[in-house]
Amino acid sequence: METTVVGKGLPKVDALPKAKGKTIYADDFNMPGMLYAKVLRSKYPAAKIISIDTSKAEQLLGVHAVLTAKDVPNNNHRAKFGQSKDVGSQFEGLYRVLAENKVRYVGEPVALVAAESLKIAEKALELIEVKYEPLPGVFDPVEAMKPGAYLVGEEDSNIVSHFKIRKGDVEAAFAAADVIVENTYRVPFVDHAYLEPESGVAWVDENDVVNIRVSTQVIEHFRTVADVLGVPHNKVRVIGTWLGGGFGGKEDITVESFLALLATKTKRPVKLTFTREESLLAHSKRHPFVMKYKTGATKDGRIVAVEAELIADSGAYTYLTPWVLLYATVNAAGPYDIDNVKVDTYAVATNNPFGSANRGFGAIQPNVAYESQIDELARVLGMDPVKIRQINCLRQGGSLATGFTFDRYVAVADVAEKAWQALGPVTESKSKNIKIGRGLAVGMMSYGRLTFLHDTSRSYVKLELDGSAVIRCGVPDLGGGQAQALCQIVSEELGVPQEKIKIYISDTALTPLAGTTTATRQLYMSGNATLKAARAVKERLLQKAALMLDTPIAHLRVGEEQIYSTVSDKKVTLQEVIAQCSADGIELFCEAQFNAPATDVPDSELITGRTHPDFTFGAHAVEIAVDVETGAVDVQKLVICYDVGKAINVLNVEGQLEGGASYCLGYALMEDLIVEEGRLKTPSFSEYLIPTSLDVPDMDVIMLESGAGIGPYGAKGVGEPACNSIAPAILNAIRDAVGVRLTSLPATAEKIVFALQKQE
Amino acid sequence: MEIMNEVKVTINVNGQQVTATVAPEESLLDFLRNRAGATEVKCGCNKGDCGTCTVVLDGQTVKSCLVLAAQADNKQVLTVKGLEKEQLMQDLQVSFANHGAVQCGFCTPGMLVTAKTFLEKNPQPSRQEIREALSGNLCRCTGYQKIVDAVAAVAAGKNDK
Amino acid sequence: MNSFAYIKPRTKEEALSVLHELGARAKIAAGCTNVLPDIKAKKLADCVLVDISSLAELKGIKVTGETITLGSLVTISELLESEAVASDAAVLWQAAKVFADPLTRNRATIGGNLANASPAGDGIVPLMALGAIVTVENVNGKREIPLEDLFTGPGQNALKPDELITAVSFARATNTKSNFIKFGLRKSMAISLVSIAVVMETNGDKLDRIRIALGALAPTPVRAKKTEELLAGKQIGPEVLEQASELIKTEVEPITDVRASREYRLHLTGVLLKRAIETALA
Repeated sequence: METTVVGKGLPKVDALPKAKGKTIYADDFNMPGMLYAKVLRSKYPAAKIISIDTSKAEQLLGVHAVLTAKDVPNNNHRAKFGQSKDVGSQFEGLYRVLAENKVRYVGEPVALVAAESLKIAEKALELIEVKYEPLPGVFDPVEAMKPGAYLVGEEDSNIVSHFKIRKGDVEAAFAAADVIVENTYRVPFVDHAYLEPESGVAWVDENDVVNIRVSTQVIEHFRTVADVLGVPHNKVRVIGTWLGGGFGGKEDITVESFLALLATKTKRPVKLTFTREESLLAHSKRHPFVMKYKTGATKDGRIVAVEAELIADSGAYTYLTPWVLLYATVNAAGPYDIDNVKVDTYAVATNNPFGSANRGFGAIQPNVAYESQIDELARVLGMDPVKIRQINCLRQGGSLATGFTFDRYVAVADVAEKAWQALGPVTESKSKNIKIGRGLAVGMMSYGRLTFLHDTSRSYVKLELDGSAVIRCGVPDLGGGQAQALCQIVSEELGVPQEKIKIYISDTALTPLAGTTTATRQLYMSGNATLKAARAVKERLLQKAALMLDTPIAHLRVGEEQIYSTVSDKKVTLQEVIAQCSADGIELFCEAQFNAPATDVPDSELITGRTHPDFTFGAHAVEIAVDVETGAVDVQKLVICYDVGKAINVLNVEGQLEGGASYCLGYALMEDLIVEEGRLKTPSFSEYLIPTSLDVPDMDVIMLESGAGIGPYGAKGVGEPACNSIAPAILNAIRDAVGVRLTSLPATAEKIVFALQKQE
Repeated sequence: MEIMNEVKVTINVNGQQVTATVAPEESLLDFLRNRAGATEVKCGCNKGDCGTCTVVLDGQTVKSCLVLAAQADNKQVLTVKGLEKEQLMQDLQVSFANHGAVQCGFCTPGMLVTAKTFLEKNPQPSRQEIREALSGNLCRCTGYQKIVDAVAAVAAGKNDK
Repeated sequence: MNSFAYIKPRTKEEALSVLHELGARAKIAAGCTNVLPDIKAKKLADCVLVDISSLAELKGIKVTGETITLGSLVTISELLESEAVASDAAVLWQAAKVFADPLTRNRATIGGNLANASPAGDGIVPLMALGAIVTVENVNGKREIPLEDLFTGPGQNALKPDELITAVSFARATNTKSNFIKFGLRKSMAISLVSIAVVMETNGDKLDRIRIALGALAPTPVRAKKTEELLAGKQIGPEVLEQASELIKTEVEPITDVRASREYRLHLTGVLLKRAIETALA
């Protein structure tokens, strides 16, 4: 489909204000009489709370409130993640505001303080006396699964979730296989490391509505906050700010409940901003996984069986763990057509930091395993990495092991080949210590939320009398151009230039709820909702213009602020049509809702059928140089090849692909949130390292636009898919360069040196 | 000279004199955000590991979380807003927007300050030199590619695509 | 309940007299690239910040005859901008190039890096290989300490509470071959996992004298004196380099920490010694 605005690399509506320093992020906002909040956090990974004495803290001059669990009207909830449909059971685990009776992780919130200054608040924290009785705790998910293990929560088992996939007969298939590769892969805790720490300001207004202005990916948390306070949902308003990064780390409630409680108690505005150390300590992490894989193939390279056991460390509280595990289960065998698949996945509670959403959401971890497995198979069989993928990959009409069938184009074979070709001629090594290697990996990742959530999104589009346009949409913007995409869609449909479009986002009181900015769903959901709303308005304009121009609608087009005939010179300005419509009482606005496909909540551990709306496929090919004496890895060439369906804004899509590659290049090579016996050993950005500008090479992006997506104009979502496959591509390149198969991340220089020494 | 429990400082921020009495340990970053209303200067880590607090202090590009407010007394601070009076900064801002170098934008003000002062000293840098110059400013969103593109484009004299 | 105070001496003499008066209550504030993070981390409290950052007497790089003297307030960026340092103290220049990041280099001072006494100090290691002498002053006068004697433990220096580092000096290393290698976990803003500096006086293909300094391998940066002796006067070839790379491992006592294991650091020590010498000779 031809488009004139959609597709262009227009600067985002938020880009220049951000570059001018005008954008007001969460911590940039202040109110008269504002107090400052601090959170007292558990020093122990596992302990009974014997007593909490807040009297000294309360008496400190300048302290306005000190709160503990007893002061929270409703301290325990079913954790919701913006879904409108109750899904219950394991998918809505415990959300507890402040610790009661027992603490489960270092950093667990125990008490809240609001004071006239940060300094006073910090002093007040020191004056709160908590008596703890340390408990043994458990820190390894495999240990935690065993009977008799220390129980982390209030259930009688630490196993939070278990899913499985069964297809065919893996035993028989392995028995008949010519070659079998078995490995266990381990991936660590990592942090989102958004540059903007968690932050918000709350106040109670003259109508007793609690307003929370917060950096969040989910404004729908207003419902849970209202439940925490024990007030009706319409008494809590969440105003989402332009985020300084989210990546899934601001998907759960971060500061909202604390702020609401303190603002209500003190009757003053309250600000809470986490320090970086607090953020690294206390917010969600990507789940560590231990992944046992057994892959069997014929000597011609056909994979006949995959058996996988994945164990995730859920950490101290459930949050999104079951959802992440479900993604891991569906993704465990990868984008391949395999006749015999046996997958078992477990998520186990420990007294470690809690795992929840992180860009990739459980698809990234198995991808490291299955792309390493197929690479190893290719080696054993002496087969080209592209060829083995082409033999086994899914294509249109193929199905995942769950039975979900792809009724549209599946790009795996093409992206693998194109990425690999684009590496070009091999770079010669400049010294005897440097070995060059190349690696390829492909990935699949869903876009759109789990279909059993019955996801919806709403958007409102309106034309002003002067031909300018307004969009109101609850979409939180993480920086990925979520708002910009909607402006380009409206510009395309209604022929209004971007400069004349104003978008209001992310306010539960004033913008229709568009759902969460998670699960790579916004372009698909709010994009389609906006498209629907814009087309409804367009339809009315066209009908009016048809009358005004005495021309059938089929011959009319909207563009460049006019409606014109494609078969004659007749045209009319948009403003003239608007004037007519307005005079005739025709509505020049529309709020539309888009519904994702709906399925049922899985009623057993066996996962079958559809779990997601659709998937995005991509590949990474890398060339690296390994210094065999030091083990240092330098990524010299990085090719990214994805089928994005349709790029709404080519710059933004490239930006997601490049940013995603960089995000998990860090995962591959340097990010490691080290936790020992529940205690964080990498407390700041000096110890927890993310890539700098010198650690990431220039990247080559190849975008395929198949139009096969179910987003607007055939677009697919790319935000999370973008960070798939780069890590195993690097592991495969290391294997190619120096002959060692690393099976754990990060692939540090030290690991490479010791693996090489073992080889000798 | 006396031992002070609080320090009266006057700092010229983007052309405006801002006077305040600060705690001895208050950083220039604290001063800029809380006293001078310069919230365009961000706080990402508060210990010099991220660069979101980058400003120009008496002609030097520095991380303002690593400077005592008292040390900036009688000095001039320019943030991205103050530097915008100059064409080079305006060109960089437009270039960043046009190249897709602004995603969440949190690193952007600091990144622009560093880029601008770098280009003044090195008007014809290689891409590698640009990367080196920006290596004290973290970005989590872009993977740096379009930031380097945007700076390189300004250096090459063309700031739109 | 302010636990910090501030004072800004106008001259070096005033600074020394303030330090004398305050003793251990004083904390010298110059570039503050360590002081401010330590304050935020609550590693520093109840002290008087003595701001010496404006003292002109402590600034500047001077070349007098065969000696280069760096004022203790010389920043790492100023080292990079100095032609004298680039040509006559190449090992220090190379270290400055990979020190922290460009922005931090604009504030971090050489005196601060020395006083901070990190076992991984990227300013300390090359200066040690240059045989630097540190000038330390108090109200009673001046003394000069060989750089190796300045450190007593990780983050601990041998200064008395009222002493101030005012300069560090070393002989111009004009006709030497030298190399500095920093190994970190990423390419900028990285604390050295292992660092090495070598400065060699050669005579044809024979090595007369070598100084080898190492960082992040012991409670303080160290000189590898036994290895220096082994190599002195020798023709540098693969055999003697191999010997040296084994001997040097006995002169360090690395630990296992979040960044690396002891074994890996030992391995790197041998590798980087060979590499530093080979690179310097090339």
